[in-house]
Amino acid sequence: MPERDSDADRSRAAVRRTYEDIGAHFSKTREYAWPEVESFVAAFTDCGTALDLGCGNGRHAELLAGVADRVVGLDASRALLNAATERVGDEVALVQGDAVELPLADDCIDLAVYVATLHHLPSRDARRASLDDLARVLAPDGRALVSAWSTAHDRFDAEADAETGFDTTVDWTLPGGETVPRFYHVYAPAEFERDVAASDLRLVSVELSSGNCYGVVEPEGKRT
Amino acid sequence: MKEDLMEIICCPLDKHDLDLDVTEREDGEIISGELVCTECGESFPIEDGIPNLLPPDMRDEAPA
Repeated sequence: MPERDSDADRSRAAVRRTYEDIGAHFSKTREYAWPEVESFVAAFTDCGTALDLGCGNGRHAELLAGVADRVVGLDASRALLNAATERVGDEVALVQGDAVELPLADDCIDLAVYVATLHHLPSRDARRASLDDLARVLAPDGRALVSAWSTAHDRFDAEADAETGFDTTVDWTLPGGETVPRFYHVYAPAEFERDVAASDLRLVSVELSSGNCYGVVEPEGKRT
Repeated sequence: MKEDLMEIICCPLDKHDLDLDVTEREDGEIISGELVCTECGESFPIEDGIPNLLPPDMRDEAPA
């Protein structure tokens, strides 16, 4: 078993706890699927098993259910999974799990979306390990869409052409006025491409849209 | 969870198969029970129909 980074594990637990605190409210503000995800998923039909990694309330798992026989929605937060149960519980198999240590068998996923989740992992090692584990679970001809917040987003002053991004904290304000901090790693687009390229995934295409990096990826070296 | 999910889930730590021990079933769904790794013996609960396959150090027994 690889040696585990206990600091990063504690921080991942902290990110999970954040979403346990805000999940019910957060999910009400995440009603609609993102258009970039809709157009990615719309290119597929008759997939076997699809995965929504970091499924939140299930809004993208719902899209996958239209093109796949079986859909797994995985999230670290039970509060978000409870929201997903109400929304897509009949058509999506929900699993509580960690994006770095996926509880899924090798090669079992034909189509995956990993949207707005990678940037919550609190170290580069954890983000890299997560991309590697996604490659492990993808079938040899499987495809995935990976997105992360980028420095090109309007809310940051950072230069979009910087070589590396930065860590930051973005507060979530609950209806009562209480704020809950959330960790983000904001990717420089060049860094996003570099991290994906360094992982066991191969970048098929990449684009910047609405301040996010979107990469279409496939597992590297699995085709015979 | 439905039992056919067993085809694709595994231990998050060592990726080995899991044994299923059902406590409660309802309309073909497994409502509660336990998943135990056939290799390392780590146990993962199924709670209200959702398997909790978080690595043990990311769980907290009593959420704040």
